[in-house]
Amino acid sequence: MELKMTDLTKKFQDMTAVDGVSCTLTTGVYGLLGVNGAGKTTLMRMLCTLLRPTGGLITWDGSDIFAMDREYRRLLGYLPQDFGYYPDFTVYEYLMYIASIKGLRPTAARTRAKELLEQVGLTKARDKKMKKLSGGMKRRAGIAQAILGDPRILILDEPTAGLDPNERIRFRNLISELAQERLVLLSTHIVSDIEYIAGEILLMKDGRIRASGTVQELLAAMPEQVWSVELPRAAAISYMKTCKVSNVKTVSGGVQLRIISAEKPAGNAVPEEATLEDLFLDYFGEQAGDDYGKEGRDAAI
Amino acid sequence: MERKEEMLRYEWKKVFGKTSSRIALLILLAVMGVTCFFATDVSWVDENGDTHSGPGAVARLREAQKEWAGYLDEDAVRRVIEENRRIQSLPEARTDNLRDSQITYGRKQGIMEIRELLNNSFVGGFREYDYYRADSLRPEDAPYFYENRPRLLREWLAGEAKDQFSEEEKAFLTRQYESLETPFYYDYAMGWSRLFEYAPTVVMITMLVLGYLVAGIFSSEFSWKSDAIFYTSLYGRDRAVRAKIGAGFCLVTGIYFAIFLLYSGIVLAYLGTDGMDLAVQAVSGSWKCFYPITVWQKYLLIAGGGYVGCLFISFLSMLVSAKTRSAVVAVMVPFVLIFLPSFLSSISSQTVQKIIGLLPNQLLQTGMALNLFNLYPAGGKIWGAVPILLVLYSLLTMVLWPVIYREYRHKQVS
Repeated sequence: MELKMTDLTKKFQDMTAVDGVSCTLTTGVYGLLGVNGAGKTTLMRMLCTLLRPTGGLITWDGSDIFAMDREYRRLLGYLPQDFGYYPDFTVYEYLMYIASIKGLRPTAARTRAKELLEQVGLTKARDKKMKKLSGGMKRRAGIAQAILGDPRILILDEPTAGLDPNERIRFRNLISELAQERLVLLSTHIVSDIEYIAGEILLMKDGRIRASGTVQELLAAMPEQVWSVELPRAAAISYMKTCKVSNVKTVSGGVQLRIISAEKPAGNAVPEEATLEDLFLDYFGEQAGDDYGKEGRDAAI
Repeated sequence: MERKEEMLRYEWKKVFGKTSSRIALLILLAVMGVTCFFATDVSWVDENGDTHSGPGAVARLREAQKEWAGYLDEDAVRRVIEENRRIQSLPEARTDNLRDSQITYGRKQGIMEIRELLNNSFVGGFREYDYYRADSLRPEDAPYFYENRPRLLREWLAGEAKDQFSEEEKAFLTRQYESLETPFYYDYAMGWSRLFEYAPTVVMITMLVLGYLVAGIFSSEFSWKSDAIFYTSLYGRDRAVRAKIGAGFCLVTGIYFAIFLLYSGIVLAYLGTDGMDLAVQAVSGSWKCFYPITVWQKYLLIAGGGYVGCLFISFLSMLVSAKTRSAVVAVMVPFVLIFLPSFLSSISSQTVQKIIGLLPNQLLQTGMALNLFNLYPAGGKIWGAVPILLVLYSLLTMVLWPVIYREYRHKQVS
């Protein structure tokens, strides 16, 4: 069971979204980390045969996935970032329709749909129209459809967006269970999701995989050190402008900054153990602020 | 098979789940109802000149016209002319009084349809019409009733229309006119003539609603952003696409025939089915028709032509929907195909007129197309437009099927 990308490239006119990606994925959970515009969605869409690569090859156990056509899609479950649905279908009808186009027989589909509704906590909402669901419920319905056909390859683009903490925990557990004999590739901005469940992480930037490995491997290879330093508010502002600050915490008499730096940033700075969030910031710098970085830090100050 | 049916069912649900689709269907039913009202609005004028409507009026009119049912041979034509002269000679026919005019009209109701045929036959020129021509006929004119039809045609082809047709086409038309079997059988046929009169309205409204319904079958996947999941599913690039085309086909077929048969059923149930075996030329409005067909055959051609036209235009809308990913653009296809020929018809070029005669909107008004002299050479023979339209658009619809399939299944989702 091997999904292999060789020199995979996708260009849109002058813009190269994915630039010569080569990597091999086997069983387990892979986390794809990258800022917006890094090329994650384009890469995933090529892996789902939704987009044809401009160059390179994607193979499943040695066969070109585009040539495999239906046989490859039989193995595939996909949750797109912009999860679209049929607004006038109920949740149950939606799953039954997806089951029909995934090739499940109606009797098997009914059983499977009921199981999944239970698993994602939508049993009570099964007769609600999709358009009436909350964002989190829609996301759960999306996750249910992705795993409906019991896929060998599960590709999830931002699967936890819109889920509350409880739902995210439930989702992580579900993915961990599913990953036993499957290949799961998930992209997210929520670093902790990947930290908990991904066996291997792929860091993507400007269309390329910049680094890959387990959390420990990536943290060990991190070129810079993480420091914790307590400073008065006024002094903290100048550090915010010059250093990579992964966290700001208000403490009595000032703020505590978590700084990523090769050198000791201040006299009272103490070394800290790096986390995946630190790594994310280290690799992506201020671009990472799209979701959780700079705005949050400024607000804290 | 089970899965195929499931897919079809859900495709229909996608269409009819939308409130706007259900409203469109209600509008269609309402328009059909109003059309039925007008189509069945028949009146009867009694001996006092009072107008009546309703089923009683239909029964009286039917009874009056049935009295003249039979072969319309020379003797029958003479009797109709004599009857018309008798009515015209009565005092009420010679005044300008409105009630007297009504009384005179009432007396002629039994022969009114045959009187119309006389007006068509005994005119000065092929393209002329005179409502009062029958009133000036004499019994000795009766032998010329059928002779006039091909004679007027020949004169027209040799004069006014001499540059309009090739020699082969002229010969074809003359042959068609001369080979028509006479005498015609005449009978009350109000049900059919009213049905034919309003059929284009029903078919065109049905087409517009069908165009609206099918326009979203393909593009909605993109507007709902459900395309990514659709295309990554096992059957997303084959059976599910075929299910969409199948859903469109069944939707057009089901709704078209439901509406057309409902319309036909209501009109014929109210006005009667008498006269289905008459030659179309014996029913007012089709005197000049060169197709040797019966009223029933004309009905089948109108129903079939409307269906082929609706199916072709709907499939074209579906192709545009698949190609452009836009229901708005797709829904414009029927409007353009229905209304564009009206603008083009003002162009006097013969080539343009020939092309207009073969546009798919003609199928939506096959009853009218049967009365037009649109001729085309094909396979060493001359053909009227109607058989060509039926064959051409049936074939094109069959061609569109795989074109839509190919177009949609290869879509990329970026």
